[in-house]
Amino acid sequence: MYGAGFGFNIFKRGDHQVVQFRIDVINDRFVSASGSLLEEAMMFLGETVTAPALENGAFRRDYVEAEKTTVLKRLEAIINDKIRYAAERCVEEMCGDDVYRLNALGQKDDLPGIGAASLYQRYDEWLQEAVWDLYVAGDTTLEEVAELASQAFRLPPGEPANYSPPAPLPPREEVRTVTERLDVRQGKLNMGLTTGCLYGSEGYPALLLYNGLLGAYPHSKLFVNVREKASLAYYASSRLDGHKGILTIQSGIDIQNYEKALGIIRAQLEAMRRGDFSREDIAKTKAMLINQLRELNDSALERIGFDFSAALAGRTMGSEEMIRAIEAVTPEEIVAAAQNVRLDTIYFLRDLKGES
Amino acid sequence: MEKLDYPKMQETLYFEKLENGLEVFLLPKPGFSKTYATFAARFGSIDHRFIPAGSAEERIVPDGIAHFLEHKMFEEPDGDVFSRFAAHGASANAYTSFDRTVYLFSAAGHVAENLRTLLDFVQNPYFTDENVEKEKGIIIQEIEMYRDNPDWRVYFGLIESLYQRHPVHIDIAGTSESVRSITKELLYECYRTFYHPSNMMLFAVGGFEPEAIMELVRANQSAKSFGPGGPVTRIKEPEPMEVRRRRLETHLPVSLPKCLFGFKDEPVERPGDEAVRRELTTKLMLEALLGPSSDLYQELYNDNLISDNFSFEYQLGPGYAFSVIGGETRDPGELERRVCEHLYRAAERGVDAQVFERTRKKRIGSLLRMLNSPEAIASEFISFRFKGGDLLKAVEILESIGPADAEKRLREHARADRLAVSVVRSKPA
Repeated sequence: MYGAGFGFNIFKRGDHQVVQFRIDVINDRFVSASGSLLEEAMMFLGETVTAPALENGAFRRDYVEAEKTTVLKRLEAIINDKIRYAAERCVEEMCGDDVYRLNALGQKDDLPGIGAASLYQRYDEWLQEAVWDLYVAGDTTLEEVAELASQAFRLPPGEPANYSPPAPLPPREEVRTVTERLDVRQGKLNMGLTTGCLYGSEGYPALLLYNGLLGAYPHSKLFVNVREKASLAYYASSRLDGHKGILTIQSGIDIQNYEKALGIIRAQLEAMRRGDFSREDIAKTKAMLINQLRELNDSALERIGFDFSAALAGRTMGSEEMIRAIEAVTPEEIVAAAQNVRLDTIYFLRDLKGES
Repeated sequence: MEKLDYPKMQETLYFEKLENGLEVFLLPKPGFSKTYATFAARFGSIDHRFIPAGSAEERIVPDGIAHFLEHKMFEEPDGDVFSRFAAHGASANAYTSFDRTVYLFSAAGHVAENLRTLLDFVQNPYFTDENVEKEKGIIIQEIEMYRDNPDWRVYFGLIESLYQRHPVHIDIAGTSESVRSITKELLYECYRTFYHPSNMMLFAVGGFEPEAIMELVRANQSAKSFGPGGPVTRIKEPEPMEVRRRRLETHLPVSLPKCLFGFKDEPVERPGDEAVRRELTTKLMLEALLGPSSDLYQELYNDNLISDNFSFEYQLGPGYAFSVIGGETRDPGELERRVCEHLYRAAERGVDAQVFERTRKKRIGSLLRMLNSPEAIASEFISFRFKGGDLLKAVEILESIGPADAEKRLREHARADRLAVSVVRSKPA
């Protein structure tokens, strides 16, 4: 199919484990071959998902065993990338028993108990129960796609279902601090914070501004103060997961500078609570957020991702509506959002030196 | 302004070489919201020995200085550049590689303002003892971050093993020691030598109107004065074809060993068609023999010797050319042996014509799909241009490469005496 790209991915959005299958093909006008690449692609996708290869009513045993090894390797490989490892460990420590602590790929210990028959049984149940969203972006029509989809996907009839909202993390009395040691040169300082606000809710645009002012951009407080002014780090940023209502901070620092970096980051959180940011800072942050939403238009995958995020939050919200909401945010609303942001967990990955 | 049509690609490119020597390329993409613009200097980590502008004597500069200069360009007397871009919603960034430094922004509006900001900040160096000193802490943390990164260490471990003298083996960011020795005087000297418009190119892709943008660039450039410029004299060091060492092992905490190996190739001395053709042919050959659709890939996967991160690439630039093959594996020795034997055997028996044809079709499809991404277009366009080629002609070249070319390339490339291996594994208990 002229270098069609096919892939699948499993990720977390809020408390949901989302499985994504995707395929992209070039426009038929670039190739001289007869027939439609879109049709071929849809048939391929439909068959892959809803009519997988079976033997004796179960998945093929050799495939299942090979994939168990692959999943195990991928889970074990998280430790290779220390930035990612520290980020995942911080969220894990923050979440206690909440499902959000889990990696999207699941838990290592469950792998040995998975067999070809039990896995297919579960897959079949999942095909029946799961909420499905099919997106096609390109030079086509809804009619054409609906017709192809009804042929390609062998799914049971039913009504479209909705996604359930995530469970909030229980509030913590005192900030939890966790230190972990590994054979590393650079320390990773990560923090987990609760925001009390979810994607799609009324206060969410103000929380986007909060995150932008605090740490999403090179003009944000974390980059300016931790990196540019104090020269403590190469990266220092914050990231918002609106589907769980949590915010994380990450930075790579010299191990000796732990207290210093922590102090500067805490001071930025405090400054946000006091409303210590200028009108220009707000204007820049709004310009950046709005620009990101406008850039979505050029990428089919990102447009799909944006719409899916809204669907997951039980909303239908276009990017233009989001842009208007961001433009309307006031400094007072950002300060109000800041009052609900609570530091929950501090996680520090450091070296083995001086370990008792 | 020249207008170049590529009917096969359904693209139109606009080009002008300005009086000061700057080459400007504009690729309008009607209907795109975004503009992605890049301003690139022919100055990378390999440019460490040269005759500075206005001097007669050769200079050897500290490792990592091109990358240091990249960081420092973002500082301006009136504050930093990121804020200026942010006011117009643009994300700015930069990267340094072996042979180039690239400054860029992406924005869905205010193209004129953002483009002026890009041109002006890169053409306005502002270094002080204090701001140079302050940057060292940041860059040293960047170096430390990469030293903890097994993928980077195994990759650079391979290049260090392949090359004895050529500066491609020098880490792009340098070391903490080399970075500490950098001064504002050295930075200005590098700036004057390598950032003359005649040593740079501007490439923009996106939803803009080419005439207006070209006029903006012309006006911006003609209002500035630069010295005479001219080609930079780089001092080359002769590189023997023997590898520095056959094998390098590094210890870092990893779940499974990481193993990369590659062959050192004869360099292509001048940019031009030969360099571009060589690169495309080698990549096609590697894809046909080692790609996910190959028999070998399936065998290695089934034998649990590779996972989906197995990859291969071919790097070619001024004075260097090498392949990089491998990934995570339970048994580095076995992986290397199986892949190399497969390549040596294919060199004797030849490449299957059907497999080759399928691979070529796949490459052409990937190239066309890549043209949806402004970021990918820009990075590849610069890469082709610096090699003396044209990205938009890559499909034509691919169509002219046959299985016999791939076989010839394989026999030249896969030579046991030019092989090196780099392994990163956990420290034995």
